[in-house]
Amino acid sequence: MKAISKTPFTHLHVSSGYSFKYGTALPDDLVLRTAESGGSALALTDRSSLAGVIVFAQSCEKNGIDPIVGVTLDFLQKKNQITLLAQPGSLDALYRLVTTINMSQEKILTYKILEEASCYSSRIIALHGAHSQLQVAINNRKYEEALSIYASTADLFAEQYIECVSHLRSGAAALSTPYAARALGFARDYNIPAIVSNQVRMLNRSDGPIADILDASRKLVPLSSKHVERSNSEAYLKSSAEMQWVSDEIARVAGERNGRRLLTDTYELAERLRLSPRRDIGLGGIHLPQVADRSELTRRTRSALSRYTGELSVAAAARLDDELATVTALGFEPYFLTVADVADMAKARGIRVAARGSGAGSLICYLLGISGVEPISHGLLMERFCSTLRAELPDIDIDVESDRRLEIYDVVFDRYGFSAPYKVGANTSVATVAMVERYRSRHAIRDVGAALGVSPMEIDTLAKSRSHIRERTATPVLQTVLRLAQRLYGLPRNLAMHPCAIVFSDHTLLDMAPLDINASGYPMLTFDKDDVEAIGLLKLDILGVRMQSAMSYALQEIKRVDDISIDLDQIQLDDKKTFELIQSTKTIGVFQIESPGQRELIGKFAPSTFNDLIIDISLFRPGPVKSDMIRPFLNARQGYAPRNLIHPDLYEVLRETEGVVVFHEQVIRIISIIAGTTLAEGDERRREMATPEGSRQMREWFYGAASARGYAPSLIDQIWEILHAFASFGFCKAHAAAFALPTYQSAWLKAHHPAAFVAGLLTHDPGMYPKRLIVDDARQSGVAIAPIDINQSDSSYRVEKSDSGYQIRMALCDIRGIDDSQMESIIANRPYIDLADFVHRTSVRRTTAEHLVTLGAFDHLHNIDASGNGSINRRDLLLHLNDIYSLGSGKKNSQLLGQMSLALTPEELSPSGLPALSLADAVESEISITGMDISTHMMSFYGDFLNHIGAVRSSDLLHQRSESSILVAGVKVALQMPPIRSGKRVIFITLDDGYGCSDITFFENAQEGNDQILFHSSLILARGVVRRTGARGVSLRATQVWDLPDSYKKWRNLQVYGGAEHVAGS
Amino acid sequence: MEFIYNGIRFHVHAIVSRWRESGGWWNRIDDGRLSRKRAIASGLEEQIFDDGGKAIWRVEAAPIGAVATFEIECDEITGAWQIRPTSRPAH
Repeated sequence: MKAISKTPFTHLHVSSGYSFKYGTALPDDLVLRTAESGGSALALTDRSSLAGVIVFAQSCEKNGIDPIVGVTLDFLQKKNQITLLAQPGSLDALYRLVTTINMSQEKILTYKILEEASCYSSRIIALHGAHSQLQVAINNRKYEEALSIYASTADLFAEQYIECVSHLRSGAAALSTPYAARALGFARDYNIPAIVSNQVRMLNRSDGPIADILDASRKLVPLSSKHVERSNSEAYLKSSAEMQWVSDEIARVAGERNGRRLLTDTYELAERLRLSPRRDIGLGGIHLPQVADRSELTRRTRSALSRYTGELSVAAAARLDDELATVTALGFEPYFLTVADVADMAKARGIRVAARGSGAGSLICYLLGISGVEPISHGLLMERFCSTLRAELPDIDIDVESDRRLEIYDVVFDRYGFSAPYKVGANTSVATVAMVERYRSRHAIRDVGAALGVSPMEIDTLAKSRSHIRERTATPVLQTVLRLAQRLYGLPRNLAMHPCAIVFSDHTLLDMAPLDINASGYPMLTFDKDDVEAIGLLKLDILGVRMQSAMSYALQEIKRVDDISIDLDQIQLDDKKTFELIQSTKTIGVFQIESPGQRELIGKFAPSTFNDLIIDISLFRPGPVKSDMIRPFLNARQGYAPRNLIHPDLYEVLRETEGVVVFHEQVIRIISIIAGTTLAEGDERRREMATPEGSRQMREWFYGAASARGYAPSLIDQIWEILHAFASFGFCKAHAAAFALPTYQSAWLKAHHPAAFVAGLLTHDPGMYPKRLIVDDARQSGVAIAPIDINQSDSSYRVEKSDSGYQIRMALCDIRGIDDSQMESIIANRPYIDLADFVHRTSVRRTTAEHLVTLGAFDHLHNIDASGNGSINRRDLLLHLNDIYSLGSGKKNSQLLGQMSLALTPEELSPSGLPALSLADAVESEISITGMDISTHMMSFYGDFLNHIGAVRSSDLLHQRSESSILVAGVKVALQMPPIRSGKRVIFITLDDGYGCSDITFFENAQEGNDQILFHSSLILARGVVRRTGARGVSLRATQVWDLPDSYKKWRNLQVYGGAEHVAGS
Repeated sequence: MEFIYNGIRFHVHAIVSRWRESGGWWNRIDDGRLSRKRAIASGLEEQIFDDGGKAIWRVEAAPIGAVATFEIECDEITGAWQIRPTSRPAH
């Protein structure tokens, strides 16, 4: 036997940060310390969590440590715990047992669960530690009870040990030496094996305060002796010598000469529990869903090749052969077939699907219908997505209609999942996946502040302005909060459901990972989204995209109103009217190109092809903006500067972007051409450049390879500079192309079916602007807005045919305070003959009825003239409504529907003499109740003033001379502060004046003293200098800004008292 | 092992028990001493939170033949010692 005193001690009970608000160290730090101190194995036994297993195994593999995996669970009741450890080959049993517990109602380990799942537990080793029921009984000197507990679980576990833990606490309670010694004495008396552990929760002795903060945060209480679990700082990862000392201490108090036997037994158990990160935990494995016939991929894609004709068909056939060879070599056929199956199932239910990411570069994805972008003619590469040089699962994400995303989950779980995951022996191939949320500054400050009893207001201020508070100048308490918050930073805080990922595998999924049930009721792997890929599970992100819902809704409206069926995925990508709309910059509501910055860019760029849209989307990102890539591109594009295509060999690669490298695909091709590699190797080399070390190696290789092919050193220098600079801001063209498709489709809808498109936008609200701007934009596009009508309006926005074309009927859903049940009641019981009838037969609340009257929903029924010239008006109706409720006739409920009402009849509706609502009152009410100015644009009330001071309408901006100083005004509809190359704060504000939008840039000098107006005023008047930047490109650099109502008030006063010409720069 | 208490040299006959304590650090934040520096082997100073950690030994010790019980306390950060007689029974 090895001399135990010389053998590194193996900790068998260790909680990391993955215990969530209990352990203070990350697995990586624990493993590193073990390796540094000469250890060769370490256990991770987090509390009620196995979420850290994969990162722990990865760290162990990296540092040459054997992982031992277990979990500490509540057993029978919350305060009693048991630690379970997997043996080699039994990790699946541990996972399945934990899954069974998670799926149970009790959520803790019980005898019932143990008996039901004994096929799992009987392969697992149990440690009865300091907080186990067994040791509590020993400490209470109830030895019979302790023996009975031991006997009751003897058949349920493979082996059981008594775990002796001394944290050198004073007294004789749990974690004191006398307590541990009594447990050891009991084990010796009854011939039960015993081991020693330190029940670790910290890396260092000095981590005690962090543990206290976590205890307080977990229990949601302020720090106090009553709630802190530790009495000293001994629960840290002690060295072998320290553990030998502890073992001696326990053994001597128990009457043994020293702790040698305790250490020997611990060592022998640890030796038997060492797992292999690959064989046992599954790192590096691949577990794809099983498909009946892998050759199905070849059959399906070859038959879909018929989409290609002419010359392209030859290229397509050759490329398909190449891609199929790659996929077959990697064995990824099930991967593609599964994703295609999900896309097919969605489409079969009429749900719009679009690929996202590099997957759009694959011809296979296109032919399977996963992606809608044709990859060959757009120069997209399979190698950027998947190659034999990178034997890892490629990543396909699919975008679907956001409001129908869970429908796809349902059909996927129906096909690949199980109905009773809690059943012992159940199998499944699909689950949702978790996401480890970590402490970031704000949360850390909030949790530490709350634990230290800092007032919520102070915590809030500190959390929001942490970067502005210097630690030295803060009070001692705030200094402590900041310093402790730094220590929490990065620790796992919570295990949440990943918002969109589904994981597929073969039928062994439950053997590979533990499951829980997420908040939406779907089975969820309790590993982080990144960890599941490390064990070879297929992760498919199904992202809900509101624009897809909006477009789908628009198509339904077109079908309903005009009986025209449109397949948006089949429209030509060179529609003239669509590009005219895009070039006009009237792209509010259009996917990806509606922001002020994008509208400015397309104004300068004037995209005229689908490829231009791909370039536009790729350029409008922080990297290219920061790196000043846009200007050289536009200058070359508009002929202001010659394009630099560097070398004739690169002509084809750089031509499309005027010599500016924009795409990953261009980098891959440049490397391939200049260094003479395959495209797959080109992509590997490109990826190397992501790190400084990789970039250095890549440079050396590139210079050698390019020189060998005869390129001049100066040319190589030039190309390397471009490649090197590009590494930080390039974009995957396939990804941009996947985005460009819905961009084009939404622009097409806006160009050809504006009413239906706006109805979709208003119903699903996909963009960045408030609905009132969408409404205003619709008016400018010639689409009329029809008011809410109690017999016409639906819960969503509907298109109606009108004398002058199409109009959009305002919906009930945006009325403040209305809910689904009220809308259902309104729609189910119509038509109504008058207001009293409405109140009688619906279950809407009184406030909702008042809102409806105020908005004019009963104008049509009561012949109320919008101008207020009729015999009665909305104020009369409101009085009438009051009468109806006063007489009790409104106090019926849904149960009375269908019965005769005994309520008194209100007085006949007659004019009260009150004046009708003015247009201004009506608009004010509309904004208050719906957030939209429906009757007219709110800026119309400032028309006289704005005309008087000579403010320029946004529609006239294009006619202004460059560098002229003008006034503009409008409703603030967007405010952005994107990162700028200089690092200074620049504010971009969009004003809507009823004639379109003006985009104004506020540099620092224009912001000075105006924060209140810029951030808090909704109606703004500004002076700015015009800058023309292209055929349709115009922007304003602000020089002055005012609050519009203030300026208007002054003008009105001066109108009365004279001197009006002095207001607001007039 | 020996120590001097009240000018009298004591000899330790037996260690009755030993334990470690810490805590209550959150009540001492306002005095600004929560964060203290400890010299570490490399010669650098490590700034740590002082959570009031102490190692305590309860010992039997005698000046001249007479045995009494003391608690000997060592501050884990500063290394300062405190000795006090105690009448508490041994664990």
